[in-house]
Amino acid sequence: MEQAGAVGSADPTHAQDPPPPILVAEDLTMSYRGWTALHGLSLTLRPGHVMGFLGPNGAGKTTSIRILTTILRPTSGRFSVDGVGSDRPAEIRPRIGVLPETLGLPNQITGIEYITYFARLYGRRGPDAQSHGSALLELVGLRERGRSLIRTYSHGMRQRLGIARALVNDPVVIFLDEPTLGLDPRGQQELLALLRDIARRRGAGIILCSHALSEVEGVCDDVVILSAGHVVATGSVAEVLAKARRKGPRTTTMRLQVPTTSIDRATALLGAMPGVAGVSNGDRERHLQVELVAADARADGDDPRSTNRILDALVDADIQVLSFEVEGSRLQDAFMELTEGART
Amino acid sequence: MTIAEAEATRTNTRIGRRPTRGAWWVVFKQELVELWVGGRAINLLILYSLLLGLMTFLLATNSELSLIPPKEMVFLTLLNTISFGVFIGMIVGADGISGERERGTLEVLLLTPASRRQLVLGKLLAALTPWPAAFLISLPALFVTAQGDEVFGQAVLLGVLIGTVLAVAFAGFGLLVSTWSNTNKTSMFICLIVWLLLFLLTQLPGEVQKGDFGYFVQRINPMQATSEFLEKVLVNHRTFWERDEFLRSSVAGVVVVLFLLFAIAAPRLRLDASRARRLRARWGSLSGMALSTFLLVTLVAGPGVALGGPLRQADGQDLAISLDESFLEVKTGDEVTFDTLLENNGSEDSPPVVMAMNIIKLTSTGDVVDPEDWSPERTQYVDFVPAGDQLRHSWTIEAILKGDYMVYLVAVPEPEERSSSHPVSSPGLHLTVGAFQRLNPQGVLPVVIAVPLGVTLALLVLVRLRLRRLGRPGPDEDDERSLRSP
Repeated sequence: MEQAGAVGSADPTHAQDPPPPILVAEDLTMSYRGWTALHGLSLTLRPGHVMGFLGPNGAGKTTSIRILTTILRPTSGRFSVDGVGSDRPAEIRPRIGVLPETLGLPNQITGIEYITYFARLYGRRGPDAQSHGSALLELVGLRERGRSLIRTYSHGMRQRLGIARALVNDPVVIFLDEPTLGLDPRGQQELLALLRDIARRRGAGIILCSHALSEVEGVCDDVVILSAGHVVATGSVAEVLAKARRKGPRTTTMRLQVPTTSIDRATALLGAMPGVAGVSNGDRERHLQVELVAADARADGDDPRSTNRILDALVDADIQVLSFEVEGSRLQDAFMELTEGART
Repeated sequence: MTIAEAEATRTNTRIGRRPTRGAWWVVFKQELVELWVGGRAINLLILYSLLLGLMTFLLATNSELSLIPPKEMVFLTLLNTISFGVFIGMIVGADGISGERERGTLEVLLLTPASRRQLVLGKLLAALTPWPAAFLISLPALFVTAQGDEVFGQAVLLGVLIGTVLAVAFAGFGLLVSTWSNTNKTSMFICLIVWLLLFLLTQLPGEVQKGDFGYFVQRINPMQATSEFLEKVLVNHRTFWERDEFLRSSVAGVVVVLFLLFAIAAPRLRLDASRARRLRARWGSLSGMALSTFLLVTLVAGPGVALGGPLRQADGQDLAISLDESFLEVKTGDEVTFDTLLENNGSEDSPPVVMAMNIIKLTSTGDVVDPEDWSPERTQYVDFVPAGDQLRHSWTIEAILKGDYMVYLVAVPEPEERSSSHPVSSPGLHLTVGAFQRLNPQGVLPVVIAVPLGVTLALLVLVRLRLRRLGRPGPDEDDERSLRSP
């Protein structure tokens, strides 16, 4: 059983003497009348870490989240949140914050009323609940619209309000299901920066379900990729990428952009280099596709040494490199490779 | 790290928040805001006040026609108030959980530390709030229809007592169905079917409501039992304890519903009503069976109601009846008086004679009019008519419905033992009744207009005040405002 963890985190505070995990799941399985929606999910989340949950539609992401948030009871397996076992769901609930995919916001009340309502449900008294609500709205950038009816909020504002609600109980673990869905690129970046900040400053662990792989890649420490209810990859982003490369073909394509006047020279130069299986003029005039072959069975085609040699050769030949990209080096490629055959 | 190791590291330093005992109160207050400020309850109550005004006006019109005494009007107004008041509560309850499921708001509620029972309790209390509001709205109508009769005070007391019991039962039932339904469509459908069944049972022909089965149904149907109880106590001067058995079904309904709601449904409240499909099927078949039974009972009982006794054999007599009027034109609500002359043209005294008044509506089908509704004295008894003599009788009719009618009398001589007699008919009195034209019967018109208007205005002021307190919502320029750093 693979287990996701905080391996490879860039944050130096995580590297030494890591704090105890705040979420541990062991072999979670969920079956509905003979059909298994989730097979043996295991993971570990440490404070301040963000874990991405990826997978095609129907892969089991929402089922996993609902189990970990005590909405569903697993058929088998256990988990604990902040040291509280899954057999005590009532004690887990005050420790988690959730932003479900369906935001579930009422239209007829204001943002501050809504947040204050949840603050009271979590045990805060009148003025305390009100000031706590105001602080959270401030945090997500909604303070000035706090007294407006929620029905007047845009989608982005609703997402932010949902996040404020997820934080209302100062949770140990925060579950976010597609938090950037429907936001414009700037809104997505701001929201992800906020989440990253919340994780670091508050020491909360975040589980982030998303289809936007680039955002997961940018913000997550660890990744779990699910496909048809099975965990197909877990670990840090780098580990998952490495696994996908091992599973994939033994060649890697490098896409280069050079000035039009240098294309012929670059083609001839690269075609003569060892380890290059072929050079073509790509689908666009100024792009060259260079197919690299691993030097030996242990090395990957996109071994940095291979790509560096290509770039060095071009620079030495005084050919300007306008841009370059190595296919298979991004999470999206790994996702496609690992969930091949499943519908996204 | 294993779960056991993780549990051993539990710090407990961050979690200061624990489930509150008063979460039901928090939920109740929030539900109140959404129910009343959100508009659902307001719309239903405005509609209710309009319907109540219309019914009050019609009742007062009938009362003006001397059809309904004030006590009966108060009874009918109170019955309507209770019926509609608890209906609104049931509809609100039916939206309580399934509506949250449908709108996607249930999940975040279930994730709070509030227990399922507390969530349900808060919603039940909120669903009960339309009842007192509906009752308050109906007080002016009760007051004007009572016309100063002491029955008003009695009606208020009974209304508060019985209405509250029924409101709990029906709002609880709505919430119970809602707990087991995935969509509002399902919960509303089930509640309406049940409501319709209970209501239809009260509309069965009188003969069907008699007998052991009829009385049994009357007592177990809370709506029917309530109607019986209120009628006996308010109209027929029975005491509370003489008819208290009619309230047992309502009390039992409350107990059963609350038990099912809080002991069974609430603790098992889930995001997905997994049993909803099976439950829908079960409810569907139950509703179908109940409807079939109702139709069967109606069909079987119907002919029995229509059938009369065997026809008598006619026999000749020397009697004749004449009227002093042959045609009258009056307005609805007018009182008509006319005389009959019963003559004995024979040479012997007549046997005892029963004189009976008949009224036929002159339509193509010749509808029979129940004289009981039209006249306080439908028959008169004559010991005998001396030979060659004649007797004069006076008759009074309240013209209660507009239309063309034929009024005639029949003299039925008492037959001798083991024989029959020959009833004699009079010529007809053609009675044309014009429409009733009074606009303000019993002086209820101001109340009928003012109450719905007042309710609407009061609620508009409430909404206006809230909007003013909130301030105008700003334009969406904040929409893209940057997030602030914590």
